[in-house]
Amino acid sequence: MIQRIDNRFAGIFFLVIGLFTLYGVSAQDEKPIAPVGRSYALTHVNIIPSPGKKIEKGTVVMKDGLITAVGTNVSIPSDAIIIKADSMYVYAGFIDGLSRTGVTKPKDEPGQQRPKDPGNPPAERAGITPQNDVRNWLNPSEKSVEELRNLGFTVSQVVPYGHFLPGTSAVILLSGKSSDDMVLVDQSGLYSELTGAQFIYPNTVMAVMAKWRDLYRNAMLTKNYQAMYVTNRNALLRPQNDRVLEAFYPVIDQKTPVVFKAEGVLEVQRVLTLKRDLGFSLTIGDLREGFLVLDKIKSSGAKLFLSLDLPDEMKKDDKKPKDKKDSIKTGTKPKTALDLEKEGLEKRKKESIARLTAQAAEFSKAGITFGFSALTAKTKDIPSNLRRMIAAGLTEEAALTALTTAPAKLLGLDDRLGTIENGKIANLVVSDKPYFNEKAKVRYVFVDGNLYQLESKAPAKPDSKTVAKGSWSYTTETPNGSNNGKLTIKDDNGNLSGTILNSMGKETELKEVQLSGSTLSFTFEFSMGGNTQKVEVSVKIDGDTFEGTLSPGKFGNFPMKGTRDPK
Amino acid sequence: MKKILLILICFFSLSAQAQDKGSMLIKNGTVLTVTKGTLPETDVLIKDGKIAQIAKNIPAPQGVKVIDAKGLFVMPGIIDPHSHIALDAINEMTSPVTAEVAESDVVNPLQINIYHALAGGVTTIHALHGSANAIGGQCVTLKLRYGTFSLDAMRMEGAPRTIKFALGENPTRVHGGGSNIVPRTRMGVEFVIRKSFSDAKKYMEDWDAYNKNKSVKGFRGAPPAYNLRLETLAEILKGNILIHCHSYRADEIMMLLNVCKDFGIKKITFQHANEGFKVAPELAAYGAMASVFSDWWAYKFEVYYSSAYNAAILTKNGVVTSVNSDDPEMMRHLYLEAGKTQKYGALTDDEALALITINPAKQMGIDARTGSLEVGKDGDVAIFKNHPLSIYGVPQFTIVDGIVRFDKASDPADMRLWADPKQNLDEATFYEKGTDHCMDGTEFLFTSDKK
Repeated sequence: MIQRIDNRFAGIFFLVIGLFTLYGVSAQDEKPIAPVGRSYALTHVNIIPSPGKKIEKGTVVMKDGLITAVGTNVSIPSDAIIIKADSMYVYAGFIDGLSRTGVTKPKDEPGQQRPKDPGNPPAERAGITPQNDVRNWLNPSEKSVEELRNLGFTVSQVVPYGHFLPGTSAVILLSGKSSDDMVLVDQSGLYSELTGAQFIYPNTVMAVMAKWRDLYRNAMLTKNYQAMYVTNRNALLRPQNDRVLEAFYPVIDQKTPVVFKAEGVLEVQRVLTLKRDLGFSLTIGDLREGFLVLDKIKSSGAKLFLSLDLPDEMKKDDKKPKDKKDSIKTGTKPKTALDLEKEGLEKRKKESIARLTAQAAEFSKAGITFGFSALTAKTKDIPSNLRRMIAAGLTEEAALTALTTAPAKLLGLDDRLGTIENGKIANLVVSDKPYFNEKAKVRYVFVDGNLYQLESKAPAKPDSKTVAKGSWSYTTETPNGSNNGKLTIKDDNGNLSGTILNSMGKETELKEVQLSGSTLSFTFEFSMGGNTQKVEVSVKIDGDTFEGTLSPGKFGNFPMKGTRDPK
Repeated sequence: MKKILLILICFFSLSAQAQDKGSMLIKNGTVLTVTKGTLPETDVLIKDGKIAQIAKNIPAPQGVKVIDAKGLFVMPGIIDPHSHIALDAINEMTSPVTAEVAESDVVNPLQINIYHALAGGVTTIHALHGSANAIGGQCVTLKLRYGTFSLDAMRMEGAPRTIKFALGENPTRVHGGGSNIVPRTRMGVEFVIRKSFSDAKKYMEDWDAYNKNKSVKGFRGAPPAYNLRLETLAEILKGNILIHCHSYRADEIMMLLNVCKDFGIKKITFQHANEGFKVAPELAAYGAMASVFSDWWAYKFEVYYSSAYNAAILTKNGVVTSVNSDDPEMMRHLYLEAGKTQKYGALTDDEALALITINPAKQMGIDARTGSLEVGKDGDVAIFKNHPLSIYGVPQFTIVDGIVRFDKASDPADMRLWADPKQNLDEATFYEKGTDHCMDGTEFLFTSDKK
């Protein structure tokens, strides 16, 4: 497949090396191949230079990380490695508008004491560290870089871990040897979430929003005074330095946007309220329920990245086996009010899932520009989620736009990214069939002119055994903010037991621990004001993560997520 | 099934334009205006969300919906001055003073209990911050325009700002007991409030001084640090935010009256005020108001000295008094709660109805817009079969801004606006009386294993 049009000895030598290196990499531990000159030519390939356009049997030439020629009548430089991509499809590399790809998660510090005055905690405990820079946590060997790149993504806007105001974001290439190597744009935005701290100020969403206004207005005043001081340094009191407030200055100057994660219909409106009150320019990432207030979002002028995550599809005959069993036992029983209630809810949930899946289609039909964000999506589900969105009415052209030209524009990088054109950064994805075809496989990805070849892997066995045993870190979201803690599951020859440690440092024994298929369920009790409350938990384990609900009886159901602690 | 779906779709598409104002003619009802007497066989015409005319035999304008209210009772939409529904957060319990936080930021228009409240004739609520803090957060006045996903559409535009204060056991338990900081005692609560007002006064003075001097030659000062908490407290001192204070005992009510007097604050409503009857003349003399339960008490030590005659005694002493629910269930029958004052205190129909209409409107500062059926006011109406103060009273229609938001004859089983794919079935739960929601979000402080 790969040849080198060069009959010099050195050419043959490099050809051998090139072949060896290319075939020697597996999807597991691939490394960028950087032959001399980094010169490549993709030949006989179906080029999709931009959404809606197509060049059949064309050639794309790259050199030193840039695209140097595109078309059918292109001369191939003598030093180029030729990749015969006959009948394959090449697209501009995909762009993810918000995620933590390549960002190392700082270690949790469990067992922290509640501050003596919970109303006035140190800024770091409150989640107020806007002066932090995601570049400090970037690591090109993070697994997430390779995983997302293998799908054809070449660029991500990434943000630090944390809540409220964790720090500034950066636009990175999913390639490179070091943090600085990866960065395309540093401090691309000020990242924020409307998530409070646990049991300390600001705890609730309303306090987070109040503190946001307080910080922003303080920063405006401080900035103005600093400007005044510069012009009159002998006459005025010297202003104090404040890194937290200074982090807002580029936002106040409208040089960078605030990048907010906002999934739900209420959360996104709260973010828009802050924008309206304070006047900053806004990027919204990970949006899921935006279609419920589409006009409001459209008129806000915010830049949008819709979530690539979708709720699981409901299986058609989820309950049938159970019902069968029951009906054999009891004969055909008339439906109770509870049955009808359940059926009604299931029907509504199905409708909701359909609408959530059609969000991108609705935005596209309304003429709104948007990209996608991978922040909370399971990477392996992204291609099938895109296909579900297309099945729900998003055109393939619009899907491709949202993966390439639209995010390039939203990030202000359309001069360098988003299309296959001369002079653009050599970010490409090559698939053996049209990308949105169910059977399509990504064969090559170029990032910044570096080639990554993917082996066609046999799909992972679906029946790989779920392991519940081990130590897990979990988080739950309740109306009072998020909580996290540790979950330990022990397996004694199939008899499961365990403990749960909450964020207050209290450890409780688990009861009724069961693993059925990939679903882990258990209960535990906690005492509150003399009353004992039973809590039911049911989560679905997927490898080293789980997701599910925590149900403390009448208090409702709260989402619970977890990841396996590294051994 | 299809038919139900169709009805649902119609409902949603009708009500999706939430801030739309409707027009309608309510014919031949017994009109309980509350402020202008009771008018038999009278029509009420609502035009573009406002009451346009109240008279006999109003001809129906072309294309306007007509409700035949013959034999029915037409009253102003009920106003609940103390509720915690339609909110995503109730207590920011991390600090004894949180004046800067605002419930208007966390309105949740999707909660089903908004529709339940409409089914009880309620059209407007005062959604309060909880009572964990001596000075809690700002509250929000909501019109129950159920059917909208828009946060803004629920807020009653132009309603004055209000704030929650709290005295007694709740703030001392949360901060003294829970976090081991001031206030641990009732004295501490007074100290916290006085100190906050003093700080706010100084903050205002500092800003005034800065603004006055900044252009003076040779002035070297920097602007004071912006502080949203003190900004908010300053607005209270200026009279731009009304205080609604959770309180029970007569001594603490007198304490806060003295504090208000010292800081020149005139507008205050005492919420609960179970011992309000003991200081009714003092409240009336100050112009302070009271919002009470009809007969709910003894759920903790400071609410043992209580009386079902409270509302009547306060009313007879000239205190503007309302009856509130503090509870989504009780909210659905506030008209019965008001009716109890006729058994305990022999209030007249108008006096009893005022407790859930014009009086709460006065306490919330919206009496020019709602609380009675008068020409020019908002078209917020509840229509009852049988008199609303009788135990046979049943709401038939609830109308907000001239739009029917509840119609008993067309009341689909599933009124959820949105079903989250992750949500489980809401099974019926029964709260025992005594579980108010004022302390939501603070439970963890009182777990038995915590010292």
